[in-house]
Amino acid sequence: MSIEFNEGEVTFRGVASVEDAELLLDWLQRNPAATVQLEPCSHMHTADLQVLMAAHPTIASWPKSPDLRAWLETALKSEL
Amino acid sequence: MNPLLVQFLSEAREFSEAIGNKLMQLEGSPNDQDAINELFRLVHTLKGNSGLFTFPEMTRVLHAGEDLLGMVRNEQVVYSRELADCLLDAMDFVMVLCDEVETTGAISSRHAQGTERVTKALRALMPVFPDATENDSRDNADRGTVVPEGSGILISFEGVPAAARLEALRHIQAGDALHWVIYTPAKECFFQGDDPFHIARQVPGLLWGTVRSALPLPPLAELDTYSCALEFHLLTAAPREELEELFRYVIEQVKIVKVDPEGDSVPKDSAAPPVQVEIAAVPSIVSDEVTTAIETILSAQKQILGLDDQPVWKEGRTRAVAAVLKNLSRGLGEETVVGDIEEALSVSLAAGNGAPLLHWMENRRENLTRRPRRSDSATGRSEPPSRGAATSSVPARGAADPVTEEPTKFGRRAEDNLSSARSLKVDQAKIDMLMNLIGELVVEKNALPYLAQRAETQYGVRELSREIKAQYSVINRIADEMQYAIMQVRMMAVSVVFQRFPRLVRDISHKLNKEVQLALEGEQTEADKNIIESLADPLIHIVRNSLDHGLETPEVRRASGKPETGTLTIRAAQEADRVVIEIIDDGKGIDPKVIKRKAYEKGLIDEAALERMGDQEAINLIFAAGLSTAETISDLSGRGVGMDVVRSAVEKMHGTVVVNSELGKGTKIRISLPLSMAVSQVMIVESDRQLFGVPMDHVVETVRVSRSAVRFIKQSMTVILRGRVVPLKTMNGLLGIAARAKTNADDEFAVLLVQVGGGVMGLVVDGFRETIGVIQKPLVGILSGLPAYSGSALMGDGSVLMILNIRELL
Repeated sequence: MSIEFNEGEVTFRGVASVEDAELLLDWLQRNPAATVQLEPCSHMHTADLQVLMAAHPTIASWPKSPDLRAWLETALKSEL
Repeated sequence: MNPLLVQFLSEAREFSEAIGNKLMQLEGSPNDQDAINELFRLVHTLKGNSGLFTFPEMTRVLHAGEDLLGMVRNEQVVYSRELADCLLDAMDFVMVLCDEVETTGAISSRHAQGTERVTKALRALMPVFPDATENDSRDNADRGTVVPEGSGILISFEGVPAAARLEALRHIQAGDALHWVIYTPAKECFFQGDDPFHIARQVPGLLWGTVRSALPLPPLAELDTYSCALEFHLLTAAPREELEELFRYVIEQVKIVKVDPEGDSVPKDSAAPPVQVEIAAVPSIVSDEVTTAIETILSAQKQILGLDDQPVWKEGRTRAVAAVLKNLSRGLGEETVVGDIEEALSVSLAAGNGAPLLHWMENRRENLTRRPRRSDSATGRSEPPSRGAATSSVPARGAADPVTEEPTKFGRRAEDNLSSARSLKVDQAKIDMLMNLIGELVVEKNALPYLAQRAETQYGVRELSREIKAQYSVINRIADEMQYAIMQVRMMAVSVVFQRFPRLVRDISHKLNKEVQLALEGEQTEADKNIIESLADPLIHIVRNSLDHGLETPEVRRASGKPETGTLTIRAAQEADRVVIEIIDDGKGIDPKVIKRKAYEKGLIDEAALERMGDQEAINLIFAAGLSTAETISDLSGRGVGMDVVRSAVEKMHGTVVVNSELGKGTKIRISLPLSMAVSQVMIVESDRQLFGVPMDHVVETVRVSRSAVRFIKQSMTVILRGRVVPLKTMNGLLGIAARAKTNADDEFAVLLVQVGGGVMGLVVDGFRETIGVIQKPLVGILSGLPAYSGSALMGDGSVLMILNIRELL
């Protein structure tokens, strides 16, 4: 499991796969005020990204990888 | 290896053969549109299938082939022999790749150069290679990578951060080509294993990229996680080829637009340079969308001017409206009106209301919206940020359309399978097992009559004996039918072997500068799979020989009064339980004198043989090892191997090969093979109270010869039969049995006349028995060293019948 769900917080670790998207969507619907930790994330599947873009969660930390961070910032910040 | 890959490989072979056939067919009638379409379809499908695996080399070659054929189909390229050569070459290369995949499971990188070579050769035949600098969208219509006219793509630098713009500006000033990539993944792309985000992250030379949704994403409850609604916008300094390579699997979902700086508008202000871009040949149709956008902007400004909630904000609002209008005008390339706006603004500010600006807007409105759009007009950072959504949705929809117009890829393979023959692909081993089982059943079934006999004679139960016999006849019938049915399963048409000849003949005759027409007859003739497969090599040898040695060059043919184009006929037919294949050419024939001399020179025959050898005998010498009649050794044939290989291969299948030739007229080679090797007919003979089987292929006749008719020439027995001297040998003598041959009551020998090679010989045995069909098992282990026997078979009573290998025996 590359996405960890904790109380009010979800953490992406390593590579989040397409299979995680459904769980993520389900969890975000039940935890609309959740924050997202992206720091340990090295890649996420388009499907996961799409869920995040639709859910507008609060991003608590951005990925370490600069290119991923740039991508996610344009995708997730512009939605705010 | 996974089953999908196995299926792909077997399909690839079929496709490749079909492609070769179609190319041959086109050679005869280059304007056959149906054949071209079919050819295109085949290559297209094969390419699509190859895309299921990570064989980019294969896919690239096929892609090039598909492009080329697409042009042939659209009559942009004329079908030619070079084109066919090139495509055949490419297919050969693909087959090499397939072979490698089959053996090693992957394609090694050493094929990269080959890929490059083949792809280049194919591309070289295309008049206009789809290229970024080409605006000829006609050639690119299929590729989906170049903006088709009227698609209304607008590059919006809106949202591109200043740093990226600066970087872009530097590239433009350095003369690099920048590309704007709009990647709209197909909705169902997740199911195809794509991760668009992953691909986007790999784009080389990325200056800036964003991901957005084409349409506003639905609320979470309605969101379909497995349907991709995103699109990627990228600005990159990478060359187009690299981008195409990266997006090669999803090229139809990608638009790559070259970004051209409009020379004079590259701004000097480096703080936030609004990089003005020109899209190559943006057509005037775009103005529809632009008009809508302008309308939206103008009405928003009117609304703003009309607001009167907070008087203290009025001035700021008025200034903002003026700024928007100025930017809008600049964006539309109308710098001149900026002054007018300034003027209206100062009047408005002085008057304390927005009326003058409003008035100016009303006046300009007509001009702004109706003015014909210049083809080189540019979009700048003209719209206020709040309107960003409107502008960015324009390219989004424009980009999405071509994708949705295309039929979804699901089910494509089903449509492509036009020839959905109701056939089953079964592993040959399973059929072989079935064949072995039925063989055992046939043998076991033969034990029943013996059982019936024993029931009667040994136990004296006649009733039971009769019942067993009745049951036997039923089982016998079913077993026979079953055997026949299974043999039918194994039957294959000779076309399997024949279909490679058009290509072979074409290639060789081109190489030899000979004009040859190939005629194939009786392609539907069927025989056992093993027979058909083992036919392939001998036939290729013969065809090569005919082309190389038999058929003459056009000049020679003309000189000898024959048509310039030689004819090579390969004919298959079924004769009784044998399949006969004839290879006939109308070439120069075989000169027995030349053959004899060559054979003598090579020491194959001695002087005496040279003297008395007849013409037919001499011609048969071509089957002797180490004889070549060609003056020069070519890479095709003439190394003295070939015809002897042919003979041994045919004889291995219990077949015969006969050559007839007439000098100056041509040569006919006739191969006769059994339909099936599974069941062979043998005649049972008795010698010294032992039974032996003699293959019926060898048996000519059975005769009774009176002891007095046997003549002795020195130590050898002979007999004169119908005016011919037939040498006799006793079976006992040949097998080393220390017993004399028995005669019947009339003092007559039982003589089995057998044909061996070209001659007839008599075998003296003790008696003849019936002819039966047996399933011959080869001798294995220590027994395999006994050359006198070709195998063994089980008889119905459980005894073993040894099958004689007559050729070795004599």
